[in-house]
Amino acid sequence: MNLAIETIGLTKTYGATQAVVELDLEVKHGQCFGFLGPNGAGKTTTIRLLLALHRPSRGQAMVLGLDAQRDSVEIHRRVGYLPGDLALYPRMTGQRHLDWFARARDVDLGLATELAERFQVVLNRPIRELSTGNRQKVGLILTFMHRPELLVLDEPTSGLDPLMQAEFEHLVSETVAEGRTVFLSSHELDEVQRVADRVALIKDGRLVTTDTVESLRRKAPQRVEARFPVSVDPGPFARIAGVAVTSCEDSRIVLEVTGAIGPVLQAIAERDPIDVTARHADLDELFLDLYGHRPAEPSHAS
Amino acid sequence: MRADVAHLDINGRLRSLVGYSIGLALYTLVVVAIYPAFKNSTSLDTLVHNDATAAALFGVSGKLTTSGGWLNANIYANFFPLIMLLLTIGYGAASLAGQDEDGTLGLIVTLPMRRTRVVAQKVVAMAFQAAVIAVAVAVFALAGRWFDMSVSLGGVASISAAVLLLGLDFGLVAMAVGAIARSKGVAIGTVAALAAASYLISSLAPVASWIRPLRYASLFYWSVGNSQITAGVSLADFAVLILPGVTAGVFAVFAFSRLDVR
Repeated sequence: MNLAIETIGLTKTYGATQAVVELDLEVKHGQCFGFLGPNGAGKTTTIRLLLALHRPSRGQAMVLGLDAQRDSVEIHRRVGYLPGDLALYPRMTGQRHLDWFARARDVDLGLATELAERFQVVLNRPIRELSTGNRQKVGLILTFMHRPELLVLDEPTSGLDPLMQAEFEHLVSETVAEGRTVFLSSHELDEVQRVADRVALIKDGRLVTTDTVESLRRKAPQRVEARFPVSVDPGPFARIAGVAVTSCEDSRIVLEVTGAIGPVLQAIAERDPIDVTARHADLDELFLDLYGHRPAEPSHAS
Repeated sequence: MRADVAHLDINGRLRSLVGYSIGLALYTLVVVAIYPAFKNSTSLDTLVHNDATAAALFGVSGKLTTSGGWLNANIYANFFPLIMLLLTIGYGAASLAGQDEDGTLGLIVTLPMRRTRVVAQKVVAMAFQAAVIAVAVAVFALAGRWFDMSVSLGGVASISAAVLLLGLDFGLVAMAVGAIARSKGVAIGTVAALAAASYLISSLAPVASWIRPLRYASLFYWSVGNSQITAGVSLADFAVLILPGVTAGVFAVFAFSRLDVR
């Protein structure tokens, strides 16, 4: 299979702490792959292992068909990397950063200049005088300026205003349309689901699931909310297969349905509802479920 | 070999390097310019002769009023190595551990170059900075010829080179310690203590018999502590000065190749 990234049993431990555990990941060429997880889930460690910044404790990572550790020089030539905690040289201007990296990577400044105009980057002031957003823009240009085959972006939009976030999303879409690959790590689902074809979820260093965004949406439970003229007993609803009562407050009931919807609607209809809404749960809610972090809603269900 | 990393590091320290160089050059010029006022001062020689221990603490031995003694006591035995070590230990600790701490090392090691090459370029940058201040001192020490001093180009060049190697040795040890400990502070603290011990051993060896056998372990002894200013720097001195630097450089490469960069 033609893979841009493949990890096999990738594991990294720091003393007693397991940062990444037996991670098996496959990212195909020419797609935007979202890598999601809460803070401390192991996203950044995984990226550092892919780029040979860190050495794995066990397992293997292949990037663009090359061994991440052994062939790191060739990988670095063909990959653009934006670190999550981007650090630039505080006394150097943005322009000097671009000049130096263009020279170090042996590329011209054409694309860098184009991107600087597109993102309206302030290039003539020292980095230490720039806002977080402007620093991030310089980082984005440094990542994209050599037209890498694979872009590894760790929390790329942090500090960007909504307009620049939208511009960044266009840039990612254009990059993928050119057949290049984007590996996008983030803890913000909204951002990832707008641009990613597939996503992987990681929690406590372990892969929770990998799927397309559409498939995840389909798998997400339906959320049915009904209001009645009188208070409602949640018991009959809770006994329907594939139904969980999320909350029940007097005349209002919220159900999470993973089974057939018919029996639920029938049970609601029998009680003469005032109002019924049904929708797939947000991916946010699905992910919170997967992460086991869904906040409890008030419930009177017995 | 393209010198991108060396160029970047030197550029980032250009102001301080110019400052160090101008300061050292002016200091050296003042030292040689006032020599005529002291060259016939026998009381200075008597002072050193009468309290050799105190003089030894400042790295002074022999006659102060000779050209060599004057340069040794005021520049080569103490002040110049001190500034050299400030520069090289500071850079050595900052170049890997310091950049890892501030996050900029990640930018460098994800460029298409081997980590061995990164270290090599850092060594080039360190050597360049050390060479600049060594040349600044040497040029103005040679200006002593216009101030009644008897100084030879070969003598000044060789002892300046010895101090340069001394600086590189400790700078490379700082680089290696930083890469092993992942801490700029640990590297500076450890290597500064090592350098201070080395200085004291070499300085006090002539007056403390129990320290004398240890002088061979002091890099100061092999660069400025064995009358090199008058007798010259021998090939053995140079060989001993080169060996620790090469060894520390190998350790730095090994430690850096295994370093988990932030």
